[in-house]
Amino acid sequence: MDKNMKILIVDDFSTMRRIIKNLLRDLGFTNTVEADDGTTALPILQAGSIDFLVTDWNMPGMTGIELLRVVRADEKLKSIPILMVTAEAKRDQIIAAAQAGVNGYVVKPFTAVALKEKIEKIFERIDAGN
Amino acid sequence: MSDSSTSQFYNFENEMKDGAVDLLQAVESGNFANAVKIVQDLSESRHKSFYNEVGHLTRSLHDAIRDFQMSTVDQIVSKDDDASKITDATDRLNYVIEMTSHAANVTMDMIDSSVPVAGQLQSQARELRKDWERLIQRDLSPEEFRSLYKRMDIFLKDTDESATVLHSNLNSILLEQGYQDLTGQVITKVTELIRDVEDKLVHLVAVAGRIDSISGIEHQKKQTDVDSDDRGHGPAINSESPEVLNSQDEVDDLLSSLGF
Repeated sequence: MDKNMKILIVDDFSTMRRIIKNLLRDLGFTNTVEADDGTTALPILQAGSIDFLVTDWNMPGMTGIELLRVVRADEKLKSIPILMVTAEAKRDQIIAAAQAGVNGYVVKPFTAVALKEKIEKIFERIDAGN
Repeated sequence: MSDSSTSQFYNFENEMKDGAVDLLQAVESGNFANAVKIVQDLSESRHKSFYNEVGHLTRSLHDAIRDFQMSTVDQIVSKDDDASKITDATDRLNYVIEMTSHAANVTMDMIDSSVPVAGQLQSQARELRKDWERLIQRDLSPEEFRSLYKRMDIFLKDTDESATVLHSNLNSILLEQGYQDLTGQVITKVTELIRDVEDKLVHLVAVAGRIDSISGIEHQKKQTDVDSDDRGHGPAINSESPEVLNSQDEVDDLLSSLGF
């Protein structure tokens, strides 16, 4: 796992973005950018160079699940690993996210350990696949 | 409130019953002028009882909203310079968002400034410990000992200063938690208003139902909006529902059952 990879954090609450950013920094990931919903995240993704996407679900404008579907439908973006960090915890929603191709799902409120584990697991799978 | 309005409706129903008998008599006896008057009276009475009720509800709503604006929370909130503008529930809830966001940011600022202090202490202590071990084992040259002697002095001074910084940061974090009290009071007020308005709306619907039954209006049932998972629901408050997963472990179990 490359600690210098560029991570896009998408959440409508700046506080939550900051928490995730700080936790990622503690894990050694310092190269992060932020967006406040799917609509503002897409141009950043399309500009290229994003290696990992961490997104909330419930946001104004484009939601996280919509962003996930758009990314997976885009030839250039579809291989970006996506971790969902959200308060949405309905069984059907988690199934929908899995079907849409999410790589990991963390429910809020979450712990630093949970975030770390999911990120490690995502990149273990990707490394194993390569 | 409901007593007076209910009695108004009973009055109206009684009037209508009496009116119907009178009307029938008037029509049968050929007194059409009187019959028309009875119909008019009934119509007027119907309008009057409805408008009385609407007026009553409007007044109650107005009172509830005015009481809300003049509540004690305003005084608490108006400690802030710009907060006296907060006059309605939406602004109040926005104020809660601002307060919680401010508290979270101040807390994180304090943490951001504490982490390097703790890190610095840790690395200094680790370095000193290495040499201290050697001192215990009498493995230090006189020159190294003199250096350790000085560094120990610096370290003790730094530790004192760092502990003071950490202590003050922790105190700031503690004080910042006061938002919970203020936002709690604001939310309680908004909840009261909502409950009050709901009660009155339920009453209005009950009144409207009676009007419908009296006037014979029938409504087509509207389809309720489909609950959309895509838009998101926010945090699950009612965790009793079997549809809602209550922990990361449950989410992980579900995902692994899906082959994750």
